[in-house]
Amino acid sequence: MEAVLFYIFAIGVVVAGAQVVLRRNPIYGAVSLVACFFFLAGIYVLLSAHLIAILQVMVYAGAVMVLFVFVIMLLNLKEEELGEMHVTTMKGIGLAAVLVLVGFIAWKALTPVQFARDMAVNEQIHGFGGVKAVGNVLYRSSVLPFEVTSLLLLVAVVSAVVIAKGKI
Amino acid sequence: MTFNANDLLGVLPAIILSIGALLLLMSEVFLSTTRAAAQAPASPGERVAQTATAPEISSTQPDRRYQAWLAAGVAALGLWAALSQLGDPAISLFNGAAMSDGFGRVVAATVCGALLISCFVAFGYLEWLRATRGEFYALTLFSAAGMCLLAQATDLIVIFVSLEVMSLALYALCAYLRRGKRPAEAAFKYFILGSFASAIFLYGAALGFGATGSTRLADIAAGVRLAATGGGPGGSAGLLFASVALLTAGFAFKVAAVPFHMWVPDVYDGAPAPVTGFMAAGVKAAAFAVLVRILVSGFGDPSSSIGPHGWQQIIVWLAALTMFFGNLLAVPQRSVKRMLAYSSIAHAGYLLVAVAAMGNAPSRPDATQGLLFYLASYGATVIGAFGVVALIERKFALAGTGDDLSSWAGLSERHPALAAAMSLFMLSLAGVPPTAGFMAKLTVFRSAIEAGLAPLAIFGVLTSVAGLYYYLRVVVYVYMVPEGRADSVPGGRVLSASIALASCALIVLWMGIMPGSFSAMIQSASGSFGR
Repeated sequence: MEAVLFYIFAIGVVVAGAQVVLRRNPIYGAVSLVACFFFLAGIYVLLSAHLIAILQVMVYAGAVMVLFVFVIMLLNLKEEELGEMHVTTMKGIGLAAVLVLVGFIAWKALTPVQFARDMAVNEQIHGFGGVKAVGNVLYRSSVLPFEVTSLLLLVAVVSAVVIAKGKI
Repeated sequence: MTFNANDLLGVLPAIILSIGALLLLMSEVFLSTTRAAAQAPASPGERVAQTATAPEISSTQPDRRYQAWLAAGVAALGLWAALSQLGDPAISLFNGAAMSDGFGRVVAATVCGALLISCFVAFGYLEWLRATRGEFYALTLFSAAGMCLLAQATDLIVIFVSLEVMSLALYALCAYLRRGKRPAEAAFKYFILGSFASAIFLYGAALGFGATGSTRLADIAAGVRLAATGGGPGGSAGLLFASVALLTAGFAFKVAAVPFHMWVPDVYDGAPAPVTGFMAAGVKAAAFAVLVRILVSGFGDPSSSIGPHGWQQIIVWLAALTMFFGNLLAVPQRSVKRMLAYSSIAHAGYLLVAVAAMGNAPSRPDATQGLLFYLASYGATVIGAFGVVALIERKFALAGTGDDLSSWAGLSERHPALAAAMSLFMLSLAGVPPTAGFMAKLTVFRSAIEAGLAPLAIFGVLTSVAGLYYYLRVVVYVYMVPEGRADSVPGGRVLSASIALASCALIVLWMGIMPGSFSAMIQSASGSFGR
């Protein structure tokens, strides 16, 4: 059951992700990105990271996407500005590189890589993935990165103001 | 148990710098209201008289000169905090998320020193361009706080977040003077490529976490040992190799190593000169510190089976490529800023030699000391050099004509002291004996030979000989080429810049003539990666 769900979500993520890149019209790309985020949230649920799944939907599929769509609306690109589809050597090289990488990963995946932490065990023991567990990690062992992140957000706000305000 | 006062004391320099930045931002609020109130009663006639005498000053512009001094004071306080802890024993902070050891403290002191001198350089520059804003110094302080945290971080998450604090502030600082086209272009390039490098770093961190189950460098080291003996989870050796390669690539971008150097000339050229100087000195110090920590504390086990020769082989090739192309590409440059940008790439190569030498445990203390010496001497030299560039540049910053070598011609006749200082910095960058640059190169190459990397050291010496050409060309223009343009005189407000340049020159000479006294100061740091 889990494997079937995983394949559905995984294929969804890959197809939607490819659509984001391949679509000429940015709004289609944005909608594909929303789909991609939803499928990704499904995979998080399968990994028993419930809180991350909810946050993924609320923050990325919700707030961030609204921002994206607003930017696309404000830019308001015309059909002719989008240009024609061009096939260049660079794109060919890029495609070849992607295929090689995917092939390599697929080949590696046939010999299963075992990760150091078993998620199922973690969930049983620590209540992994819930709000309480994440909060415990956030405010105890990861208190320094948590605090520095607040600094990061402040710096981002100040930087945005510096860049956006009148020319100095 | 979460954390206690000792943990906070360990990251004191970063805390001081952050508080200073917050104070500066807050002061800006009070500034505007008081000035507006004071100006309200002024009659229109007075205002006309004011604008007539000082046409460039807009009458609503409050006096912001205190900000440079406040920022410099905060930087000095941070420097003091880092230096006062220098001799203390190393302690682990926040359950292993960070580390307060000699190495981190020396790097933090270097960053704070660089910030202190940069404040003086920036003061005259910004006042001349009437571009002083609280955000400028606040962002430099935030950026320096990120650098100090980077130097102390021993957890990949902390490293990533501090890296972003440092980088975001610098992206904005690059775009700070937006009157020309080039700053915006520089900042945009830096931002896009920098985000890309951060993503590569994150990918490497994720793979490392997957292979070892932790983001703490100590746990990763344990995982690497386990993989070396074949006892780890299946396939973890391959994952660890991919991880270390991606992490190195991410930081190779930040330190400007070839082939991740494409952004450097445009960004160094487009950013305001005081920012460029601070960027060159501070980012190099912080990024090298954290690169060393990741490689040596995380992946540095001599018995590790990561690749044929561990990560050392990657670094050796990066160093050779960087030294070669950095020096080669600097030769045809006519803009002094672009030349210094390529020279910064070349110096990243020499620093990578020291990192490579740290791969072998016996030569590690010497290589650590060499690296720290090099970072400090390069910092002092490059801030000085960009300080002189800032004086020359600010005349042309608005026109955007840049700093072609011809505007340096005959500088010795107009400003003998400035010319002498610039020549000193050029000699130090080239590595000529009485200066800090020579001693730095000497210690680095000596440690490389100790580590059995003699071919790399010889290659380094050869490339630095090639570097003499483009450094001495500046000296030739300054002293021997007759003055072509009469208008290239740096204007007033040079006192603070003089202080900065004089202190840079003194440090360069002090480290060159009495390297022992500096080495004794950083003695406690050399054992940081002893094991």
